Amino acid sequence: MVGKVKIKRYFELLGIYARMDLASLLRDTKFMVIAITADIVSNISSISGIFLLAWKFGGIGGMDQYEVLFMLAYGNIVMGFLNMMGGCNALFPSRIIGRGQWEHMFIMPLPYAVQLTVGIFPFTCSSSLLSGIALLCVAVCKMEMTLPWWWPGMLILQLMISMVIVVACSYLFSSLAFYAPVQCEEISSTVIYSVEHTMTFPLSGMPVYIKYPLLTIFPAGLTAWFPTMILFGKTTTLENFYPAVFALLISLAAAYFFRKGFRYYVQKGINRYVSGGHRA
Amino acid sequence: MFQEATALDDIAVKVDCVSKSFTQWHRKEGKRGIFNQEKKIVTAIDNVSFQIRHGEFVAYAGPNGAGKSTTMKLLSGMLQPTEGSVSVLGMSPEKDRIALMKKLGVLFGNRTELWWDHPVIQSFEWKKVVWNITDETYRRNLDMVTELLDIGEIRNTFARELSLGQRMRADLAMMLLHSPELILLDEPTLGLDVVAKRQMIDFLKKINQEAGVTIMVTSHDMDDLEEMAQRILMISKGKLAYDGSFDGLREITGNLTHFTVTTDGRIPELEGCRCLGGQHGVFEYEVDLSRLSIQVLLERLSHTAGIMDVEIRKAPIEQVITQLYQVWKCGGSAQVTAPPAS
Repeated sequence: MVGKVKIKRYFELLGIYARMDLASLLRDTKFMVIAITADIVSNISSISGIFLLAWKFGGIGGMDQYEVLFMLAYGNIVMGFLNMMGGCNALFPSRIIGRGQWEHMFIMPLPYAVQLTVGIFPFTCSSSLLSGIALLCVAVCKMEMTLPWWWPGMLILQLMISMVIVVACSYLFSSLAFYAPVQCEEISSTVIYSVEHTMTFPLSGMPVYIKYPLLTIFPAGLTAWFPTMILFGKTTTLENFYPAVFALLISLAAAYFFRKGFRYYVQKGINRYVSGGHRA
Repeated sequence: MFQEATALDDIAVKVDCVSKSFTQWHRKEGKRGIFNQEKKIVTAIDNVSFQIRHGEFVAYAGPNGAGKSTTMKLLSGMLQPTEGSVSVLGMSPEKDRIALMKKLGVLFGNRTELWWDHPVIQSFEWKKVVWNITDETYRRNLDMVTELLDIGEIRNTFARELSLGQRMRADLAMMLLHSPELILLDEPTLGLDVVAKRQMIDFLKKINQEAGVTIMVTSHDMDDLEEMAQRILMISKGKLAYDGSFDGLREITGNLTHFTVTTDGRIPELEGCRCLGGQHGVFEYEVDLSRLSIQVLLERLSHTAGIMDVEIRKAPIEQVITQLYQVWKCGGSAQVTAPPAS
């Protein structure tokens, strides 16, 4: 069960969004292929700077160039998967609130959690995920290390924890949009893009006053660099649990403040609709 | 009350002592205003109570900012009341949202539920899956709305390429696909031309009369409302000002009646009647039938020289409502008493 929706029904819902996405892709295939190719090139270009520096200097801060490449690919997978699943602004809840789109959600006979997670766009929004998977495979092959049998499972677990942290950050800050919908409409974009741009920096060898804030207050380091350290056995046993504990705590905080903001929104919130709030 | 609802299971909508307040920012004029901004509590709905029975077609009217859309949002669960309780189809819009939305249809004229970048039929298919509509119901309702709303030609058109009238018809069609028991329409005729408006009004009347769908509709076009609805709820400054029939509303404002007199060119002098204008022997008058009975009027007309023809009709509801709005705007009592049901 997902909320009160059975798994079969959940997949039916995923299916209709995927079909709609495919229809968008096939409406103008030539244009869409160009757009996706450009997106993949753009994704690879955005991480190539750091990778080329690592290549030139034989690694960064104790990480060799392929470990750096792995970390960059890991980050691409995290953000790529979330972008693919968050087709209906699920990753940017402050937009939903600020644009009045929540009013469309009120009248749908589905739990909000289901509505936010079924808006999958697997065809038009998967370029980052695909480039991330490809680069990750290249990095793992080049490292020529023997991986234990449980390693793929650990990789998936760490990816899930990283995604939870990104989503929780977005929802935590988006809670403010319930109180100030216009001013905070794009606050989730600021959070997400900041994480996306900061997560690609290898923090190995960085001073503690840079490293620690990026692992606590602004946890971009937990969305690529720290999981990479865990996956390559460069952390202590206690440290291995830190991302999971952090994910749990920030999720609880996000759930608490989001619910609180939501209650305020329906009891005292905006009563005027924003014209840009159509389904898109 | 126009229709005193007693049987609980016969009530589609029950609004009980509901108040709704919002916070609004206010800034004074001038440079000082920048440093002197304050938050104010605005009461959009003030202790409003009413009931709507199954199968009723109710108009909900009031001046701009009176609280019409807020009431619609309270009924559809988009907002929660500050005080009081709301029950829709026996359910709480807050607690039973999912079950209620399967039986409720909501349409706001200033927005669309259609997917902007997809053909209309794609939005319909999306709705079928999300509302979990059975194949049989979907096919039956799709055929019905396609025929009655004449949307056959626009089913495959992208929503963003539709005209306003086409979009409204497509939105209305989509709203009906899950066979809602109650429909809430907020300004559904907004911006529609006469043909599109006529189609919508005919369709709404048909589904109300034939399928027994309960409808609550807001509009600024009072003539449309009178044509569609049997009962009107009027709200002013957040308070329920009138609940009754349209004829009852006319009686409250003086039972104004208009009549046109055709003469041989002379201007008739009719005591107790006000001449609104005229030319070439055709003159329009206004008379308050609560002060001058129809018998007396006819007698006076029959004794007036030069009259060749007389046509009597009710005063346009638009005029009646305007009169009421002006009284309210000037600070007159918001509440008026409905006459006995007619």
